[in-house]
Amino acid sequence: MEYLYGIIIIVGLYVILASSFNLIIGYGGLISIAHPVFFALGAYASAVLSRDFGIPVPLAMLAGMLVAFVSSIALALPSLRVSGDYLLIASIGFQLGVLEVIKNLRFTGGPGGFTNIPPFLIRDLGRESYVLLVMVVMIAVVLLVQWIARSDYGRAMSAMRDDELAFASVGRDAMWMKIAIFALGSGIAGVAGALYAHYFRFIAPEQFEILQSAAILTMVVVGGMRTTWGPVVGALLLEAVPQAITFLQLPPSVLGPIQGLLFTGLVLVFMFFRPQGLVPAVDVWRAPQARAGKAEEFRP
Amino acid sequence: MLDATILLQILWTSLATSSYYVLFAVAFALVLKVTRLFNFAQAAIMTIAFYTAFVAVQWLMWPVWAAFGGMMAVTLAASYLLERIGFEALRKRGVSVMFVFVFTLMVSEFVAYVAMLIFGTWPQTIFPTIFWPATLIGNIAISAWDLPAIATTLGSLAALFVFMRFSRVGQFMVGVADNPDLAELYGINKRQIFLVAMLIAGVFSALGMFLYGTRAQVLPQTGVSLMLFAIAATIMGGIGNIAGAAITAVILGIIQNASILVISSEWQGFLLYLFLFLAIVFFPNGLRLPRRHVRFGTATRELAPSPDTPAAESKA
Repeated sequence: MEYLYGIIIIVGLYVILASSFNLIIGYGGLISIAHPVFFALGAYASAVLSRDFGIPVPLAMLAGMLVAFVSSIALALPSLRVSGDYLLIASIGFQLGVLEVIKNLRFTGGPGGFTNIPPFLIRDLGRESYVLLVMVVMIAVVLLVQWIARSDYGRAMSAMRDDELAFASVGRDAMWMKIAIFALGSGIAGVAGALYAHYFRFIAPEQFEILQSAAILTMVVVGGMRTTWGPVVGALLLEAVPQAITFLQLPPSVLGPIQGLLFTGLVLVFMFFRPQGLVPAVDVWRAPQARAGKAEEFRP
Repeated sequence: MLDATILLQILWTSLATSSYYVLFAVAFALVLKVTRLFNFAQAAIMTIAFYTAFVAVQWLMWPVWAAFGGMMAVTLAASYLLERIGFEALRKRGVSVMFVFVFTLMVSEFVAYVAMLIFGTWPQTIFPTIFWPATLIGNIAISAWDLPAIATTLGSLAALFVFMRFSRVGQFMVGVADNPDLAELYGINKRQIFLVAMLIAGVFSALGMFLYGTRAQVLPQTGVSLMLFAIAATIMGGIGNIAGAAITAVILGIIQNASILVISSEWQGFLLYLFLFLAIVFFPNGLRLPRRHVRFGTATRELAPSPDTPAAESKA
């Protein structure tokens, strides 16, 4: 039963990560691969504060979310000030750089990881309560993203994404909207990290490496970008596949690369043969101008 | 104690190790200049180049010249396929820049995982040893690797300069880089020029990985880290400025090596990400030095005008 609860929690956390990443890349049109590092920042902040500073776990979780939220602003502000394209480059450096810092700091446990993280709810109310907590957060995040996408703010996001110049010409500030979307999505990833840390009670830098970026991106692309249910379907499917592979009892040195190949290979296959994903939105990958029958975006 | 010998040794070692950084930066900057594409798939090309040389030398026991030739052939084939099957198809479909970014990143990661599956996650080198005999000149140790590496890089840069300046295809590349639509109106085949740029970048990437793999250990993910260095040098050197990228790569290499004097070695890797962040925050249009104009015996100082408009960069 414990194994099943673990899988349900992992799937729930990936739904949260994929939905929040969909908000950033799908609805916001912002390209970043640093989502796992905000997941990591939430996990580490919550774990360190609760274990080493004795802060109650709910408050530590909130702090984890805030750390991810503020860090994402620190990343997005200088990058988006120049151009949206720079966010991707900065995010690669941020993803690898923060993990490098975590590996070299003593209080994070270094490359060996951070252990003995205080549990939450499990001792008093049982594992079922934690599963319920993750499910509630998951549903709340999915509904929040759906609500944002369908609200006036969501329509403004679409306008900003499709034609930034026109959006700015009516007096709206595209940069701050992008930062807000990025910070919200990253803050949600921080919550997922905190939830992860207090259930599994062990975190290490290798759990948040670039394979996770590929995994989360695959969930969104395969599931269907700019849709509410696409990332949910993607997360369910993409978490089921690795679980199925684990039954093959392959050595870890083979299992990791095979999972990575599956994730990256699926993204490439879907990008070329079914770019709209399993739950299709309209024409997600085409350049805005091309959609309007004008010049293509990627045409030097 | 810090003395002139130590400083000179660090400077020399930095110059020698910069040889491959320069090649990576030039490859990245060239593709960006001509195709206006941040080609993260360069990391995949670099990974393919290294492991081809590794297999040829260590598994197949080929002589060095044959291994080098095999590496070049495979790298050129990979660059050709990437351009023709990947980028050309994407151009035809009129996809967004975001799509191309994700595509190039995924190609890099895919190739890294293939390498991980075949070669494992432990470090490899092209030759069984990376220790080269050294000669003391003055008090400076110069290894047998240093001079050939520097000569290779200088020779490659000179060849590229001559090609771009004096050959017809090279001039077409400059034309396409300046204004692709106008170049097409003049009858230049953009499709061919993009391919040539990609192939030259492939050659530079392969040369760089051959140098790197004969001096340092390589992991399947090493290509991505080395590419980040090239990106930082390209941004700081000024987008569209190939010579700027090369010079910046040397400067960054010297800073990274010299940093051992002030920080511990485990933090040296972190410097790369710091460079990248600083490049984006403070030098998004590149480092621009005041230009001195001498006219009629008087010297005036002015800032060089920036040819890179934000709009142009956002398309890059």
